[in-house]
Order: sequence, then C-alpha cells, then structure tokens
Amino acid sequence: MAKILIPTPLRQFTGGADIIEASGASVGEVLAALTTAHPDLKKNLYNDEGKLRSFVNIYVNDEDIRYLSKEATSIAAGDTVSIIPSIAGGR
Amino acid sequence: MIELSPAAWAVMVEHAQNCYPNECCGILIGSESDGKRLAILAVACRNAYDGEQKDRFEIDPRDQIAAERKSRELSLGVLGFFHSHPDEAAYFSQTDLKNHWPFYSNVVMSVRAREVKDAKCFRVDVDQTASTEEELTWPKS
Repeated sequence: MAKILIPTPLRQFTGGADIIEASGASVGEVLAALTTAHPDLKKNLYNDEGKLRSFVNIYVNDEDIRYLSKEATSIAAGDTVSIIPSIAGGR
Repeated sequence: MIELSPAAWAVMVEHAQNCYPNECCGILIGSESDGKRLAILAVACRNAYDGEQKDRFEIDPRDQIAAERKSRELSLGVLGFFHSHPDEAAYFSQTDLKNHWPFYSNVVMSVRAREVKDAKCFRVDVDQTASTEEELTWPKS
C-alpha cells in the first residue's frame, strides 16, 4: 500500500479525503487504482491520450518520477506518492 | 476573500525585495472558514524557472512538497501562491492564467525600485480561461 497525498483542489473528487491509500507495484498501477476508486480524478490527471498532464507533477517520497522511471517507477510498501500542481507564471 | 497575516506578509515582502529585479514566488498556508481565507504563513520558494527570471517564475516542486508537509503538520492547508511583478503592476497575466490551478488564491505583488507598492489576488476558473479578482487584505504599514 502506498499513501497518495491529494492536493486541495482535487479533494472534491475524493470525497474530501486528503490521503488515499492504494496498492500497486508501480506509480502507474497506484494511480490506476486511485482513479478506479475515484473516476472523476482521471480527467484532472490524464489527457485524452491517457498521458499524465504536463501541469501535474508526481513525486515518490521526495523524487520526481520524471527523473526515475516515470510511471514505471517502483513502489514499495509505505511509499508516499505526492500529486503536486505545477505552478508557474510571468508577464 | 483572503486575509494575509502580518507574519505571512512580512515573509512575502522580504522575499520580493531579496529577489528583485527577478520575480519571487512562494506558497500561502492557512485556514478557511465561511468562505474567508486566512493565510497564516507564507513560505518563500525557489524560482525554478530555467531562463530569464525577471518576468517568469516556476515554483520548485520540492518546496511544494515541504510546504504541503508543513501544512499537514499544523493541521492547515495550502491556500494558494504568491509571486511578484518587478517594475510592473499587480495583474494576472495570460501566462499566469495558463499556469495556475483553480481553487487556489494567487497573490501578485507589484514591486518597484525594490519596494512593494501594491498587491492583488486572483482565482482561476475551472477551464483556466479567465481569472477573477478576489478581495485581499494585508497589513498596511
């Protein structure tokens, strides 16, 4: 089981829960379990091609999965998966 | 509406001044009750934008993880974000609009000659096609 930390804007799709536990051997599997349990999250996390949206960052513990094995990144029991909104801007 | 505590405002002003003439950025942590938000803490973040930072910013996700952890420890929540516009007005640009999420309160500070002159707050609609100004109060010196 991994703990998934849900950012505030997405808690409306998890019944208000800020932490969801989900099982899976990889990030992709854990997120699939999450979106199966909470289907409304899917469109917020994935684009129409089924790929993670560019403004969604996924971290396992303190590591960005882009610099690990992306969605194939292994998950061990007790790992924390963070969904981090990408926030940027400028003039 | 959102109110900035004196402690939060002090962090925001110092960070904006230290980063000038580049844009600063950070995270607002606090609570919400009856539709009124109170930012109790502001967390100064690194500008992770890989390029000219005078008119661009990107919040370092590692700082977001740390702020998220801190907010949970304090039984508070991440309410939104702040950034500065050096030598520009406090407005929400198209770049801001495309790179912010709904729900959050987004404070923009106008900084001129290293002094914070103005601040405004904006929220993004669910489609990220428009922003609405949110009433903002902060300690005036």
